[in-house]
Amino acid sequence: MKILLVVATYAGYIFIVTMYTVKIVKYLKLPLHLRSEIYPVRSDQHEREAKSYLESLEWWTKPREGDFIGKTLYLIKEYFLLSDYFRWDKGYWLFLYPWHIGFILIITFHILSFLGAFAELLSFPVVANSPSMIGSTLYYLSLGIGVTSFVAGLFGSIGIMIKRLADEKLRDYATPLNYFTYFFLLAVFLTGLYSWYFADPSFHEYRAFWKGLITFKPIDVQMAASVHILLFALLLIYLPFTRSLHYVTRFFGFFLIRWDDKPNLRGSKLEKEIEGFLERKVTWRAPHVRHGKSWRQNAVETFHQDQKGIRL
Amino acid sequence: MKKPLKIEDMSKQTGQLVEIETEDLMPLPTFDGQPIKKVQLKTTTEEQRKQYDCSLDGFSALAIPHPKTIQDEEEFLKRFLSGLGKLFSKEDNWTFLQPLVHSLDYCVKCQLCSDSCPAYIASGKQEIYRPTFRPELLRRLINKYLKKQNPLIAKLTRSETELNFRLVARLAELAYRCTLCRRCAQVCPIGVDNALISREIRKLLSQELGIAPREIHELGTVQQLRVGSSTGMTPKALENLISFFEEEIEERTGKKIKIPVDKEGADMLLLHNAGEFLSWPENIEAFAILLDAARIDWTLSTELVGYDAVNYGVWYDDIQLAKIAVRHAQVAKDLKVKKINVGECGHAHKAFIVVADRVLTGDLNIPRESALPLLEDLVCSDKIKTDPGKNSFPVTLHDPCNIVRLMGITEPQRRILRKICPQFREMEPHGVDNYCCGGGSGFAIMSSMNFQDWRVQVSGRMKLKQILEAFQDVPNPEIKKYVCAPCSNCKGQIRDLLNYYDIGEKYNIHYGGLAELIVNAMVDIEKPFIDWEWH
Repeated sequence: MKILLVVATYAGYIFIVTMYTVKIVKYLKLPLHLRSEIYPVRSDQHEREAKSYLESLEWWTKPREGDFIGKTLYLIKEYFLLSDYFRWDKGYWLFLYPWHIGFILIITFHILSFLGAFAELLSFPVVANSPSMIGSTLYYLSLGIGVTSFVAGLFGSIGIMIKRLADEKLRDYATPLNYFTYFFLLAVFLTGLYSWYFADPSFHEYRAFWKGLITFKPIDVQMAASVHILLFALLLIYLPFTRSLHYVTRFFGFFLIRWDDKPNLRGSKLEKEIEGFLERKVTWRAPHVRHGKSWRQNAVETFHQDQKGIRL
Repeated sequence: MKKPLKIEDMSKQTGQLVEIETEDLMPLPTFDGQPIKKVQLKTTTEEQRKQYDCSLDGFSALAIPHPKTIQDEEEFLKRFLSGLGKLFSKEDNWTFLQPLVHSLDYCVKCQLCSDSCPAYIASGKQEIYRPTFRPELLRRLINKYLKKQNPLIAKLTRSETELNFRLVARLAELAYRCTLCRRCAQVCPIGVDNALISREIRKLLSQELGIAPREIHELGTVQQLRVGSSTGMTPKALENLISFFEEEIEERTGKKIKIPVDKEGADMLLLHNAGEFLSWPENIEAFAILLDAARIDWTLSTELVGYDAVNYGVWYDDIQLAKIAVRHAQVAKDLKVKKINVGECGHAHKAFIVVADRVLTGDLNIPRESALPLLEDLVCSDKIKTDPGKNSFPVTLHDPCNIVRLMGITEPQRRILRKICPQFREMEPHGVDNYCCGGGSGFAIMSSMNFQDWRVQVSGRMKLKQILEAFQDVPNPEIKKYVCAPCSNCKGQIRDLLNYYDIGEKYNIHYGGLAELIVNAMVDIEKPFIDWEWH
């Protein structure tokens, strides 16, 4: 069993990191697109002023504000508060929020468990009355965050499932896979809570398991903790097949699409890049398209042909 | 009465899928204590239904003919799937691939966007108009026919939708039940853009199957590229009109103005929507008066396409979009102007200044700007002397989606109105949160079969409600009221809304552009510029 847990945990982490990396790289390698920003393009969405540089006369002669930090802070704030959901649908937010927070905190709990194990390997005991502040801080943080994640996640999983089933507009668009995901996460949170309450109230065993992982000396853990560890590892393998990456792509979606108002100034690097895209070949087949010719040829050279009614 | 509907019904159910009934629509407020008249929605004729597919909701924007043979249907579906594949090609669709992938892959179907859609709300929440309905259908088709999911996964993701002519024809029509106002995209916490998916479906249909509304393609972009304007106006006709405008300006204001045409090396080429030349010449005249008074070095063009700012490609076809944008830039380049200014036309603003920004390179990459900051500069810097007392009537502002939500220009027009219209009042909501006029994405010029009824009763219903609410405190028909709409297509739709319900003339509610209001307030023009005739 202990070998299975170690292999599953390593496999889970390696798989999710690899898959997410592949997906992110694939996303980022998608070509530059035409502008389709939506306003307000700004960090604080709740003040409804637009502040577009296009409001200025001869805007290209004036400096533009980027506000990367403001926008980043806005997105981070949204990760932790989901305030857009709160604003538009409080009933949904009530369950979605604990579900999301449960998920964020369980990841945090695992990072803390790893750090705790590492601290113990460096001879900082992670216990309540640790002589080291690092030890006691890690102990209380792990305890607080771990338990909160299990409780919040459990409440959220049950709530979001009921909400999906009870609300017609959500139910009609839900798939069996959605419900499987809710059940899966519910099982992870529930086994975590059970394990903490009945088997490992200080998460000492959990840290010991992590120490075994780091040192490649696997240890036996109680059945309750084993089930939770195994389920969590399987969850890591399952997540890349869901839409869970929206945690990350949301960031790109805002910066690269919704807030992408970068103008194409003459002589700029962007303009050079666009020139490359205009040379790509078009294979659309409608009568008004010159099949096999480039975008540039389609846009520029057809005009006089259109004039003569050759290609309309 | 509304019937419950599932996505799979799009391919399974025969006959008309949904019946839109007046009783189900969002109620309109009363005005002056009177209810707004109820008009029964027109249905298509038996003959039309025999010829074209109207099986979605009984309306038709596209007039797709039924296939005559099984081979025709198979060919149609083959072409559809081929086009669907091209949407994901880095060559064929680099233009919108990343936004499309983002929206298809990461929507969690939380339905937060539903209540932001004016067409969905105004229809009485018809399921087919829900912003997530068509993307979800497309997603299922992609899973089954492009990704070729195995049967078990397909079952788990409910991607078992059967592809047939009925489904594609309904999906095509459904892509033309969204005004592309992108209000749904604005509220999405994940950055999903369901309106973009509507446009991608339109693009697939146009660029691969050659299917698009006749008013937008054949009479729109094609006609514009061939004769110079989507209105059919030729350069010769334009020259005659310009002489007429000069005479009319003199008649109305006493000012003798020579409208500059094809002036090489001018500071600015002004692009108007050609619809203004024919339907609202006062807007063209107002611009000429203002630019002349401010001594701006500007010109119009009489070159083909160069006198019509419209670019309907932005609604349905990237190739047509690029062709027209390039042509506009070419005209400006040949005239050797320093910059291009886009007049009061919302979609032309977005098409030319924002979307086509990544199409124009080298010497075609000429700076482009909106007319609104220019008008603001003239009024708020007192380059034009105005007297707000001359505009002492209630004025509300309609925000064209393309200018506010999709370009972020919200304040210049407001600063002008606050200065020259003492009774200016906002619609609610407004600015970047505005509601579409209902004529967006080409609807304002689409009236084939019974489509006008849909755009006036459904997609435009929310705007009508806003207009009525904005003037609730001044219902008296003796009081002149003005809806300022700095966009040609929005004006067309507002005109149709006010006419359809017989409330424009009855309650003295007029509509018009922003430039006309400024000229109306000019100190050195004696007679009112706005004629208050209902047309």
